[in-house]
Amino acid sequence: MTAIVEASGLVKRYGATVALDGLDLSVQQGEVHGYLGPNGAGKSTTIRILLGLARATSGRVTVFGADPWRDAARLHRRIASVPGDVALWPALSGGETIDLLVRLRGGDVGSGEYRRRRAELVERFQFDPGKRARSYSKGNRQKVALITALAHPADLYVLDEPTSGLDPLMEAVFSDEVAALARSGATVLLSSHILSEVERLCDRVSILRSGRIVESGTLDELRHLTRTAVSFERDRLSDAQLAGIPGAHDLVVAEGRVSLTLDSDAVAATLPALGDLGVTGLRVAPPSLEELFLRHYGDELVDA
Amino acid sequence: MLLALLRFRLRRDRLQLAVWTVALLLLMVFTAAAMTSTYPAVADRVGVLRIAMVTPALLVLRGTPQGTSLGDITVFEIATFQAVLIGLMSTFLVVRNTRAEEERGAAEALAATAAGRALPTVAAVLEGVVANVLAGGASALGLIAGGLPTVGSIVFGIALGAAGCAFVGLELLIAQLAPTGRSANGWGTALVLASYALRGIGDAGGTPHPASSTLTPGWESALSPIGWVQATRPYAADDLRPVLLALVVGALAVWAALAVQRVRDVGAGVIAEGRARRTASPALRGPFGLAARLQRGSVIGWGIGAVLLGLIGGDLANLVLEQLGSTAGVAEAVKRLGGSGSDLLGGFIIAIGGFVGILAAAIAVQGAMRLRQEEAAGGADAVLSGAVGRIRWFLSLVALAVVAAALALVVAGIAAALAALSAHPDGSAGTFGAWFGTIVWQLPAVLVILALVSLVFAVAPRATIPVGWLVLAAAAFLGELGALLDVPQWVRDLAPFSHSPAVALAHPSFVGAGWMTLGAVVAIGLACVLLRRRDTVP
Repeated sequence: MTAIVEASGLVKRYGATVALDGLDLSVQQGEVHGYLGPNGAGKSTTIRILLGLARATSGRVTVFGADPWRDAARLHRRIASVPGDVALWPALSGGETIDLLVRLRGGDVGSGEYRRRRAELVERFQFDPGKRARSYSKGNRQKVALITALAHPADLYVLDEPTSGLDPLMEAVFSDEVAALARSGATVLLSSHILSEVERLCDRVSILRSGRIVESGTLDELRHLTRTAVSFERDRLSDAQLAGIPGAHDLVVAEGRVSLTLDSDAVAATLPALGDLGVTGLRVAPPSLEELFLRHYGDELVDA
Repeated sequence: MLLALLRFRLRRDRLQLAVWTVALLLLMVFTAAAMTSTYPAVADRVGVLRIAMVTPALLVLRGTPQGTSLGDITVFEIATFQAVLIGLMSTFLVVRNTRAEEERGAAEALAATAAGRALPTVAAVLEGVVANVLAGGASALGLIAGGLPTVGSIVFGIALGAAGCAFVGLELLIAQLAPTGRSANGWGTALVLASYALRGIGDAGGTPHPASSTLTPGWESALSPIGWVQATRPYAADDLRPVLLALVVGALAVWAALAVQRVRDVGAGVIAEGRARRTASPALRGPFGLAARLQRGSVIGWGIGAVLLGLIGGDLANLVLEQLGSTAGVAEAVKRLGGSGSDLLGGFIIAIGGFVGILAAAIAVQGAMRLRQEEAAGGADAVLSGAVGRIRWFLSLVALAVVAAALALVVAGIAAALAALSAHPDGSAGTFGAWFGTIVWQLPAVLVILALVSLVFAVAPRATIPVGWLVLAAAAFLGELGALLDVPQWVRDLAPFSHSPAVALAHPSFVGAGWMTLGAVVAIGLACVLLRRRDTVP
């Protein structure tokens, strides 16, 4: 595996504001890498540095082994991107904008391959390219950016909150397209604050908080750090019996059901004890990124 | 219900209405006063009207010569301009209260109440009438305050207000047809300017009566609401029949607009917004092609302005030849405009060249401001996310500004030379080379201004637009008026236009042009170096 994106000790300051505070990030070839964090954590700043639109204050960053600030124009022939804030030229139609931006990436919009692919995407996203950009809704503006990124093949896709403004049907179309990119061997960096989206699409995830990566790894690796939710019927179990369940955290009894959490790597060890108690209505929920997320931002939520 | 709505809107628009009213009032006071001091004697007025009648450009710019009284010359000088202002006021007011309101969704909120669909439109008409009563009344008061006869001033005010009412009606009809509020404003403005141009053709092609210093305009003027204002001939004839015509046309247009409104959808014009292209044309590629596309409209607009200025300048050479030589003060002023040691005609050509140069500089500065607009709106990032480096993006936009400004200079130079030669084929009003050369050689001064604003963009992007306007205004002021206002020479030397080669004179010097071009290139180079170091600034 070779690293397509490699950043270490990345710092970006805007005046007194510290947007990135010693960030380390590594995206390997062929993976779909989820980049998670709440708004303001520094996701878009990272992406702007990777695209050479902003310059790191200090630290090292390479994309395809080159400095994205110095070699931006050359690198962008291999990169397709969806910006976090899609800006369009009001007087240009959606179709004109897509063709123009693909041309700027070095694509040949006259080629049959491009025309077929563009027509297919226009059809799948149910997009009308013949209207001026000033009349497009948020969702349609997002579609312009998505079709532009997907219509011309790239080695690396950098997608900043790509589904914002899309309805669920269009989100599904987008997921299909990203899955197809993954199958074709492209590398994808997908920033999002929607956990289910990242969970469904990504091989590896990096979690960002206040300008630093606080967690990075495969979904399986990250699940070791989380707890599994377990619940069952109370029936006639005594408090003493419940207290005796090994490894149980956060035990709550409500409406006749017992809920508790287990360290994810300790679930198998606890199951026999539950069997001995003869619990009924047992439900075991695997950890979600939601929970992972809350663990890292929980204190912030409490503070707020 | 109707009155409540009208009261609400008048309250909302009270500041705008007050500004318009006061501005129109002051303009009339100052014009009337200026006429009294500029042309105190009948002989002065006869003199200027005699020149006007042989100089079509002056007739187009001013109006119909009405006679030799102070009131007559005031009507000649200001009637058409004041009518344009009132027409624009009426246009913006109608669109704001109809289509713009629909697009904001406020109209649907109103239509959902007991107000119904027609009522907001009727209220818009009434507000238009109120605004024009104010505008006409303010104009009349201003004229009386400026010392002109009461009856004629009131007729003039009524004529202006009636023309404004005609524009309200016509604009209301346009607002029913135009695809968007934006286009309704554009079409309305075009209607006002077309009315101005139409009566300009009528005046320029009319039949002069030198004995009475009057002119009978051509038939074209009868088609223009602004022509109707002149046709009342305030102070001279006080004829109210054209006022009746204006009011009838306005009322008919309102009736037609209400009929159209019954059959159209809220938020859409009768003429649907045209389908845009589904694919990009071959020209829309790269940052230069994009810049050309984005600036197309304004470049064409400014270009037309440059051609008109050239035509008028070339035509006005008549003034210099036939009259100014004998009026010592004016001749002196023209000479000073052209710099020391200039002959009268050469000085005049140089002055016109400076005006065209400022127009070209405005085109160039707008091109430089586009750098900042694109950066702030996110368009720059969209381009830079492609295989385009910052320097190439920057130079492409600068190059477009240079090309657009140079094009404007070339077409204006040709227009001015042709206008001068068509009146005096022997070259006595200036040769082709003198006119064309003087105007085209403004380019180095334009480049300096463009380079300066571009450099500001690289160093302090947020200051680009204010500095751009400031530099333009300062260069225009110093270059054109510095000499007349006795500004010290060293301050005047700061203006790039004072270093343009005086091609219309004997032995012009090109040293200044060389230095300015070199300075512009250095500044652009420096901007490139600095741009390499800075991020996009939102």
